[in-house]
Amino acid sequence: MAKKKEKLIPAEYIPDVGSHVLTIDKVKYLIANDAMYTFYQRSKGELSPFFLGLRDDKKIFGCKCPKCGLVRCPPFLTHCPDCDFAPTRIVEVGQVGVMLSTPPITYFANSLFLKMAPYGRGRVVLEGADTALSVNVYTTTGILAPGIIKKGTKVKVIFRDDRSGEISDIFCVPVSELTKAQVAKKGLLSSQINWEAAVEPTLKKATAAEQEIYKKALKEIKAVIRLMNETERARKDIMGWKREIQVKTTGGEFAIIINNGDISLAEKKLTKPDFIMVAKSPKTLADGLAYRGAITDSVIMKRLWISKNMEFTTIFKLDRMARSVARSKK
Amino acid sequence: MSKRVGIVGAAVTPFKAKWNEKTYYELAQMATREVVKDAKISIKDVDSVFYAIYNDIFERTCIPEHALHGLIGMQNKFGTRVSTGGATGAYTISAAHAYLAAGRFKTALVLGVEKCTDCFDFMSMSATPEVIKSIGWSADSFFEQRLGWTAADSYAEVVLAYMDEHPKDLKPEVTAKISSLLSQYVKTNKFAQRQHDQVTPQEVMNSRLVVYPFKELEICVYTEGAAALILAEEETAKAISKNTGKPIVWITGLGEANEHSFAGKNQKVMPRIMSDYIASHQAYKMSGIKNPRKSIDIVELHDAFVHQLEITMSEFDLVPRGNADALIDEGLMLPGGEYLVNPCGGLIYSGHAVGASNIMSAWSARNELIKRKKKTAIVHGTGSTIAQYTAVCILEHD
Ligand SMILES: [Zn+2]
Repeated sequence: MAKKKEKLIPAEYIPDVGSHVLTIDKVKYLIANDAMYTFYQRSKGELSPFFLGLRDDKKIFGCKCPKCGLVRCPPFLTHCPDCDFAPTRIVEVGQVGVMLSTPPITYFANSLFLKMAPYGRGRVVLEGADTALSVNVYTTTGILAPGIIKKGTKVKVIFRDDRSGEISDIFCVPVSELTKAQVAKKGLLSSQINWEAAVEPTLKKATAAEQEIYKKALKEIKAVIRLMNETERARKDIMGWKREIQVKTTGGEFAIIINNGDISLAEKKLTKPDFIMVAKSPKTLADGLAYRGAITDSVIMKRLWISKNMEFTTIFKLDRMARSVARSKK
Repeated sequence: MSKRVGIVGAAVTPFKAKWNEKTYYELAQMATREVVKDAKISIKDVDSVFYAIYNDIFERTCIPEHALHGLIGMQNKFGTRVSTGGATGAYTISAAHAYLAAGRFKTALVLGVEKCTDCFDFMSMSATPEVIKSIGWSADSFFEQRLGWTAADSYAEVVLAYMDEHPKDLKPEVTAKISSLLSQYVKTNKFAQRQHDQVTPQEVMNSRLVVYPFKELEICVYTEGAAALILAEEETAKAISKNTGKPIVWITGLGEANEHSFAGKNQKVMPRIMSDYIASHQAYKMSGIKNPRKSIDIVELHDAFVHQLEITMSEFDLVPRGNADALIDEGLMLPGGEYLVNPCGGLIYSGHAVGASNIMSAWSARNELIKRKKKTAIVHGTGSTIAQYTAVCILEHD
């Protein structure tokens, strides 16, 4: 069950030893790279049954007060403060619940959660519980946009395949996106649901005028990508990153290949793209790459569809490259 | 019978996105130097110090105040620290008031300082993602940190829950207008981080979503700086006031409340900020305010997010809950309206130097009461996850 061997702090987060001097109004100031870090062997203590339940048994536990009957999930206490500290007992709760309120969506996360964005985090009241459990919420239909999950939306707990006994072992998706059997199944795994179910928007056949627009946009995209490839700062943005992206727009389709610092455009159909981008107007992508508005905003505003939520990270990188090119021009 | 306590000195340092020129030592001393100058007293006349510092990780040390005690001249005297998230500053005023009211001391220095943007994310080569990460360690360590909790998404939970109940309130046009209005107010605050950053409502509307439903120009910005007050019990306050020629601004009401950090039945009521409601009404009661809409002239409210400013105003009973947009739609907070809200520009434009923020708000409220010859102001701090903590004080000018 334990995760693959990995470091608590991934190497890419750790800066080198170093310092520099900053001069402000002819006065020098010394600035040093620094970190404050502490490692733990931290016990989950009385919370262990809950976290072991997640990790080993794919069960969710709450605790019930025998006096007031309140079932708290998560079971963050052992005695009920509302009933003069009557001892509570551990009870299993359901794996389907309703959202207590509309969950927020984080588009711009801190460095620790970049790979996860955009993500929703909300509170689910599971069947059999009275209180709400904080969970991440996702949709299987692509980017989580406002309106998909709201107050009262029925959601199902999904267990990650790779679990370590942490709250992040689980997340929720709307029940409406699952089959009856999946909803009924206890301990449903992430690998048991269809993440590719995102419905790709269909594009109409281009008119002659739209063909012209496509040609023009493609020409610009090619030029920008060439420029990105020639710009050291933009190349750094995709160091260590590899993606093959199929881009479909009205008028035609092409591929963008990102390969560890290189970016290129190929007018071909990929056999196994990492993900697909669909934009009704080819200008959407051209504008974004040319730094006329963020591509991330286009995704949020649904001008640009991407087939995998997780690939928001790649979109961020493309935005950053556009900014790097613009900055290098100055 | 407890003693009356008043503010007899106030000062702030410039609030800046980054102070490369100064450490938090110097920022703290700078505010102290200025505040004793404002009160025309010597630091030797100050009996006690109450430190307002939020986050040890920002200052890169635990008990960050220990190094300040000697360098601000308080050696061998009382010093304690308050740390209650975004409500740190307001809670610190409340703590200092209690000691003075009880007769323990004649004078107190309330000193807030924060140095947050030394935090730096080497991946994006910018401070903000690391500042947000550092604040993220404030989330519940068992049940929330690993879910990507941020201060913004936890306040967004409350705001969206409010909008579930009142879908017609907190209209984007209104939040945009409030942000734009605050950006106009900040023009006269020469200590503000964004003194020259005026925006139109349209620009606010067009700014990108950071955490749904918050847009970039509806969120407070992280700042480095310090702020300080001198508080004194009645007799001492009168003597200081006589010497400075500045009127005393009395602290006549205080209220504090912390909600549950978990939500659901018998716990946090998500669509409400009960802490704001309880604390403000406790403070009204203490200062004898029966009708806040009539009594309150100036509001210095901790606007972490514009939407929360609106909800907080409704919890204060200064605008109806469910129609907080009346603040703009009916002109309640527009120039010439019923209240002057965040004349300093709020934390969205002045900047949020967490521990110092509410003290800066008190500094502004005191200045405005004296300058405009108004009677009553309310100063507010909100903090922790899902707007859990509130501290409020009522300031009155006689
Ligand atoms: Zn009970």
